Amino acid sequence: MPAVYFDGVHAKGHAVQLYLDATTLHVQGKGIDRAESLRTVQWPERTRHGMRIAHLVDGGSVHCVDGAAWDDWSRNAGLGESWVVRLQQSWRGVLACIALLVLSIVVLQQWGVPLAARAVVAVTPRTLDVALGDAAQTWIDQNLMQPSTLPPQQLQHMRDAFTQAVAAMPAGSVPHWDLALRSSKLGPNAFALPNGNIIVTDDMVNMVNMVDADDAVLVGVLAHELGHLQHRHSMRMLVQMTALGAIASLVVGDFSSLLASVPVLMGQASYSRQAEQEADAMAVAVLRSARLSPAVMVTMFEKLADWRNRKKSAAAASPSEDPARPQTAKEESSWLGIAFASHPPDAERVRFFQEAAR
Amino acid sequence: MTDETLRRADEVGKWADAVQSPDFAETQPTQSQPHSLDIAFTGSGSEYFRIWIVNLLLTLVTLGIYYPWAKVRRLRYFHGNTLVDGAPLGYHADPKKMLKGYILVSVMLALYSAAGRFDPVAGLVAFVIVMLIWPALLKSSMQFRLANTSWRGLRFRFTGNLQGAYQALLPLFVPALIFIAAMAAIPDRKSPPAWIGFLIMGISLAIMVVFPWLFKRLKAYQHQNYALASQTTRFEATTGMFYKVYAKLFGMSIAGIGLIGFVAAIVIPMSGAMHGQADQGKTMKMVAIGVVFGMAYLLTVFVLIKPYITARMQNMVWSNTQSDGLRFYSALKFRSLLWLSLKNWFLVVLTLGLYWPFAAIARTRLQLQAVSIEANVSLDTLVNQARSKEGEAAGDAAGDLFGLDIGF
Repeated sequence: MPAVYFDGVHAKGHAVQLYLDATTLHVQGKGIDRAESLRTVQWPERTRHGMRIAHLVDGGSVHCVDGAAWDDWSRNAGLGESWVVRLQQSWRGVLACIALLVLSIVVLQQWGVPLAARAVVAVTPRTLDVALGDAAQTWIDQNLMQPSTLPPQQLQHMRDAFTQAVAAMPAGSVPHWDLALRSSKLGPNAFALPNGNIIVTDDMVNMVNMVDADDAVLVGVLAHELGHLQHRHSMRMLVQMTALGAIASLVVGDFSSLLASVPVLMGQASYSRQAEQEADAMAVAVLRSARLSPAVMVTMFEKLADWRNRKKSAAAASPSEDPARPQTAKEESSWLGIAFASHPPDAERVRFFQEAAR
Repeated sequence: MTDETLRRADEVGKWADAVQSPDFAETQPTQSQPHSLDIAFTGSGSEYFRIWIVNLLLTLVTLGIYYPWAKVRRLRYFHGNTLVDGAPLGYHADPKKMLKGYILVSVMLALYSAAGRFDPVAGLVAFVIVMLIWPALLKSSMQFRLANTSWRGLRFRFTGNLQGAYQALLPLFVPALIFIAAMAAIPDRKSPPAWIGFLIMGISLAIMVVFPWLFKRLKAYQHQNYALASQTTRFEATTGMFYKVYAKLFGMSIAGIGLIGFVAAIVIPMSGAMHGQADQGKTMKMVAIGVVFGMAYLLTVFVLIKPYITARMQNMVWSNTQSDGLRFYSALKFRSLLWLSLKNWFLVVLTLGLYWPFAAIARTRLQLQAVSIEANVSLDTLVNQARSKEGEAAGDAAGDLFGLDIGF
C-alpha cells in the first residue's frame, strides 16, 4: 500500500510502502524501516471524503490520499472496524438511528425525565427546598407583593379551618405547611413555596369569602397548593427544566440556543400541566376526607372566570358582556396555546372536579 | 461530482504524486521562494449528517457520556477534510481524557448555577471564582486544541502563558462586577435610588466604548501565540482596526433598526389599526403587527449582523496574523456569508433541525476557503523542536459547557 510517512519532527514527507501481517504494520521506504504493533497504531476511520491518517505511537504518521484503496487494503488485511463507523456509513443504519432518536426523545420527555426528577428529588434533603423557598419568599416580598391589609383574625381563621380539614387525612400524607397573606396587583391567586409556605392574596380571600359559607372553597384551594408541596413540585420542576435544557442543547444547541429554548418551554409546560393535575387530585382527596364536595372547586373556577371577564371589560371599556369571550376560548383550545400553557384548560379541570363530586 | 470537488481532488492528486515519486526529495525546492498555500475543505454535508445522527443518538442514550467520543469523531472529520496545501489536518485528542474534563466541569457548572438560586451572596462568590479561573481555563483550552491538531505530522502549539491570559481576560469582567456590587448595595429593591439608573446607563455606555479594545486584547492573546515548528505567529492588527469594524457594525444596526421603524411608520397607519372601531379586532391587529416587527428585528440581528461581524472580524484578524515565514490572508465576502446564513436558517427551521449538519459543512467550507497562506519558507525544512504541552482537557470542556466559543 503506497503512502506518505511523516516522522512527527520534520514536515518533510517520505514515500513509503505499507505492509500488514497478523500482528505488525511495516513501514518501508528509502532509509525507513519501521515495524509497529497493530494495537499501538491509532487507525483512521472509514469515510467517503477525506484522506486516511494512521498515527504511530511516537508521533509519526502515515498519510494516504486514496481513501477507498486504503479501506480495501485494511479490510483485506483483516483489520476490523467499529460498529459506530459501520452505522455512520450506511443510510439504512442512519434511518434506523433517526427513528430511534425520535423514540428516545419521546421516551425521555414522557417518562425518563419525570422519573429521574422524582428520584433526584427523593434523595435531595428537605433543607434545600426550604432554602429555595426562603430565597423566593424574600424576593417576592421585596419585588412583587405587599403585606396583607386584611385583619389578622382572617389568617387565624383560615389556619384553623384548614387544620381541621386536613386532620382527617391519613397520617404521613400531609406535608409541613403554613399560611401567609399578601396584597398584590396580581389579583386572586394562591401559590405554594417549597419552604412549605402557602401564600394567598387578599383578592383571593375576598373572592372566596363572598361565596364561601362553610370554608369549603378555601379548603379546596389550599389543598390544591398542599398537593404541590406534597409532591415537591418546585424541586421537581427545577430538575426537569435542567434536564430538558441539557437535552435540547445537545440536540439543537450548537445551531442556536434561541431555537433550543422552544422545546424546553413546550416540555416544561407539559410537565406543569401534569403537576396541576396531581395537585387537583390532592384537592379532591382532602375535600373528600373532610366530607366536603369536590364540586365547590367548580364554583371557584366560575368566580375566577368572572373576575377575568370583569377585568377584561374594564380594560376594553366596552359597556357590557364583551365579544372577546368566545374568541379567548378558541385561543385556549388551539394546539399552539396548549403546547405552551402552564395549566390544563379550565373546562378540563372543571370536568375533573364535577366527576369527582359524583 | 461538481467541478469544485474535481478540482480539489486534482490538487490533492498532484501533491500525492509528487510526494510519492521516487525522486520526490530532489524535486522539492529547498530555497525559500514565496508561494501560496491553498486551503481546501472537502467535507460533505450528507456524510456529516450520518456522523451527526449517530453521534446524537449515542450521546442521548448514554445520557451524555458518549459526548467526548462524538466530539472527537466530529473534529476528526472536519480536520481531516481541511487540506492545507493538499495535506489534511490531524486531530489526536483522547476521548477518555476529555470525559474526565467534562465530568469535572459539569460538577462545577452545576454548583455554579445552584449557588445563585439559593443565595445571592453564594451566587456572587461563585461568579467571582469562575471569573478567577476562567483565564486559566481559556489558556488550557487553547493549548489542548492546538496540541491535538497536526499538519504533516507536526503538532501545533499554543505558546500563551497564564499571565497573558489574565491580562487579556480580567478587564472583561470589570463591568459585570461593578454592576453586581451595585445591585448588592441597593438597600430597598422596591424603590431603587435614582443613581442606579444612571449607573446602569453609564456602565452600558462604557462597555460599548471599551469593548472593541477589550476584544482586541483577547484576539491578540490568541493570535500571537499560535505556533508550528519554528513559526510563531504575530498579531499586527491595531486597536483602531477593531474600533472601525465595530463602528461600521453600529452604523449598520442603527440603519437596520431605522429601516424597520420607517416601514412600521408607513404600514401601521395604513393597516387602520389606529382608528378601527372594533376593540377586539384592533388589539389583535396591534399584536400581529408587533409580532411581525419583533420578528423583523430579531432577523436583522441574527441574520444580518452576525454574518457581518463574522466576515469582517475573520478578515481583519487573520489578514493581520503572520509569522516569519507564513502570512495569512482572509477574503471572506459579507454578501456570500449573508446569503448562506439566510439559506441555512431557512432550511434548518423548515427541516426542524435536520439540515443543521449540511449548514455546518457549507459554512465551514465558505469560511475556510476564504483563507489563504503565503509561505516564504520551504515547508519541508520545518522541524518541531519540542513536543507540545497538551494542556488540560478540563479547559476544553469548559469552553464547550460554559458556551464561550473561543473562535479558533
